[in-house]
Amino acid sequence: MRKSFQSAAKTIRNLMSRKGVVFSVIFLGALSFLAIFADILGFDYLTQNLIESLQPPSAEYWFGTDELGRDILSRVVYGTRTSLVTSAGAVTIAAVLGVPIGLVAGFFGGWRDAVLMRVVDVMLALPAILFAMALIAILGKGQMAAMIAVGITGIPSFARITRAQVLSLRNRDFVTAVEAFGGSATYSMFRTILPNSWSPIVVQAIVLASVAILLEAALSFLGMGVAPPTPSWGEMLRTGKSYLYEAPYYAVLPGIILTLTILSFDTIGRAMTDFLEGRHELGDHSSVDAESEK
Amino acid sequence: MISYLIRRILQLVPVLLVASVAIWAMLYAVPGGPVAMIVGQDASQEQIDAATRELGLDRPLIVQYADWVGNAVSGDLGKSIFSKEPVVKLIGQRLPATIQLAVFSLLIALIISIPIAIISALNPGTWIDRVLSSWSALALAVPTFWLGILLVLLFAVELRWLPSASRYIPFWTAPLDAMRNTFLPALTLGVYVSGILARFLRASLVGELRSDYVRTARSKGLPERQIVGGHIMRNALIPFVTIVGLMLANFLGGSVVTEVVFTYPGLGRLLVQAISTRDYPLIQGIILVIIVIFMLINLAVDMLYAYIDPRIEHK
Repeated sequence: MRKSFQSAAKTIRNLMSRKGVVFSVIFLGALSFLAIFADILGFDYLTQNLIESLQPPSAEYWFGTDELGRDILSRVVYGTRTSLVTSAGAVTIAAVLGVPIGLVAGFFGGWRDAVLMRVVDVMLALPAILFAMALIAILGKGQMAAMIAVGITGIPSFARITRAQVLSLRNRDFVTAVEAFGGSATYSMFRTILPNSWSPIVVQAIVLASVAILLEAALSFLGMGVAPPTPSWGEMLRTGKSYLYEAPYYAVLPGIILTLTILSFDTIGRAMTDFLEGRHELGDHSSVDAESEK
Repeated sequence: MISYLIRRILQLVPVLLVASVAIWAMLYAVPGGPVAMIVGQDASQEQIDAATRELGLDRPLIVQYADWVGNAVSGDLGKSIFSKEPVVKLIGQRLPATIQLAVFSLLIALIISIPIAIISALNPGTWIDRVLSSWSALALAVPTFWLGILLVLLFAVELRWLPSASRYIPFWTAPLDAMRNTFLPALTLGVYVSGILARFLRASLVGELRSDYVRTARSKGLPERQIVGGHIMRNALIPFVTIVGLMLANFLGGSVVTEVVFTYPGLGRLLVQAISTRDYPLIQGIILVIIVIFMLINLAVDMLYAYIDPRIEHK
């Protein structure tokens, strides 16, 4: 326990030696703080004030006001909740469904592996956004549908990464030992192999979080995700796009926050991937090699 | 080569089979099923029975599926509920616009990414490498729909050089007008893809630069330009071709959002409209067509790859 704590601390120290990671952590921390304590901090995203609609940024309205005179900054802050909650839910769905698929496929091999991986191949036969849209066509529009749709598109990446991990551990002595002592397949998979596979799965979850945030925003932008009056970044960009001439800041400022959030998750995820693969010495873009190998 | 082609096509069959079942079953997963789609949620029992018979929904499921696949293979994807037009006709009207957009975007992506990759691979670890590599990170993180909005703000609202809404004009009818209308959406998509391409090409160039034949070429005293242009590029381009092919397929996905930003009349926007109006035959048709195109591109890329590097065939 003590040892794992020390190695975790060492990992964090190593990650924090990169400037990009530090900025990302600070940015996401500040954003989460605002989103969690938005009520206490006095952000008001609902009150309409038609006389002050489409006001440019000012001391009173830092990000300006929207077409109904609502404070855009407040809506961005509350939109953070929508975005983070939806993507966290989506990543959870993807992991809960994808990890067992990878475990079973990798552990048993044979026809189970063939069938499960073919299904995963089919899921990858469509770009994620199109797959999510097809699912929304069935599920109907809305925040919950968007969460489920984005979650399902994330299943293949968890299934593949878990499967690869299982294959590398499958014939190790400690797994064989459990089987020799009569441990069931379920026990081997969930109690022996899975606990030793957490690192790549957690890293995958962080990488996927940035994808989920982007997908959720894209769906809401297309009018298929979160519906008004619930604030969401994608929906704000969708509405802001109609007022490009009157209020250019409307579609620009929420987009900056969205982009920085995606960039932050991606930066942290990449740094962790590099670190896992033992390449923390090589500099920022070394993880490209990993991509080319996939 | 032929046997490899046949083997690859046979590998596609199960994927296509599962995909077609999934797309066909979409109708049955919708609340109320395919009947409610035609007659509405609060139809009388007689209407429901009549529609069930008319659509052949009282037959066994396997017969209904076989029927659907048979029609799809012979080019009949049903009629749009909304416009009553054949789905194939609607798709045929929009597909050329999306293909033109994809080709333009790919050109832009190549023009941006190849120089970036070469310069940063030749100067690894320097400030210029870091700046150019940040381009890739940024290009990948900026959501395409937001980048599209920014480009509209700059080129249409501020500078008034280009239209904010893009029409589809076939390139061969009016090249200049076509470029004016396709430039902004193509740039939006191209920037995103240039991030992926530059990252990938840089990595494979760096890999090649470390290899033995480069050391030999240098020790022979070959000029650096000849080493890079003649030796390295040729080897690095092989995996690059694959990625470019895959990107071409990915344009189909990325183009959905971009087409909506620029109200460009392509296949992606048709899909968005079809989903908003719950026009299921149209949704099914578009998704099926996209999957088939996706697979054909993958197949073509594999063939090209086997042609460039004959070792692949024997794996």
